[in-house]
Amino acid sequence: MTSPFTAVLGSLIRHRGVSGCLVVGERDGMIVEANLQIGVKGDAIAALSASLYRKARRSALAAGFGEAGFFELTADGGRVCAVGRNELVLVVIGEPGVNVGIIRVEMLRALELFQ
Amino acid sequence: MRLTVAASWVEGPLRQLVADARLELGVLLHPSGQVLGQFGFARSVDVMTACALAAATHASSAELGRMLEGQPFTGVHYVGATRQFWRATVPTTSTPLILFAVFDEESSLGLVQLFFRQFCEAVAALAPAADAEPAALAENFESELNRNLAVMFGRA
Repeated sequence: MTSPFTAVLGSLIRHRGVSGCLVVGERDGMIVEANLQIGVKGDAIAALSASLYRKARRSALAAGFGEAGFFELTADGGRVCAVGRNELVLVVIGEPGVNVGIIRVEMLRALELFQ
Repeated sequence: MRLTVAASWVEGPLRQLVADARLELGVLLHPSGQVLGQFGFARSVDVMTACALAAATHASSAELGRMLEGQPFTGVHYVGATRQFWRATVPTTSTPLILFAVFDEESSLGLVQLFFRQFCEAVAALAPAADAEPAALAENFESELNRNLAVMFGRA
């Protein structure tokens, strides 16, 4: 079974260093669709990254910066990237050396699916 | 956040769950309606009501699950205008317990389910064996309930 998100998730997961990509409900933190490498804890990533993105978006609004754009968290062992629209969040996780530039472009382009 | 317990082994896991999942209020109870712990409530009568309703809805949804799928439903999630609740079965080595938790937009179902799984693991490790803490019997149910409420609301 395919959804509107299957193709973009399939494309994102093929980037070098990407270990998982998910479409998540911003309010409930539940996975809508995901493409994950074996061993990646999808439920936990979905819940926590949706919560992070939601709070980042609210922080941006509270600061008067308008809607949040691209969200990136850099940790010692990897990166979490997220973009969102219409209560859906696209999350990509990967190694520290992942090519964020290309992934960012592809994620922002994928937001058209969230209309 | 006011959190009180009638059984000391419940306190650690419950406090952790409330903090991690940003829960607003709730109860941990025995399927009979006997309360083991509560958080966010100010009055014992509200705890008693929540326990009675949670136990009743647990029993009815479990039976619905048996009728529909041959096994009880273990969780129910309801989304209200500003608040949501999550009611789920907490497996133990003896009688399963029930968690009824209310949260708002500071949390999410995904977060609650995530930390609920960790809570279940902690409870399974700490829960006493069946014979060490017998379930409330019908004849002493009310006195046990009153004793637990008195312990939690400082009237013991």
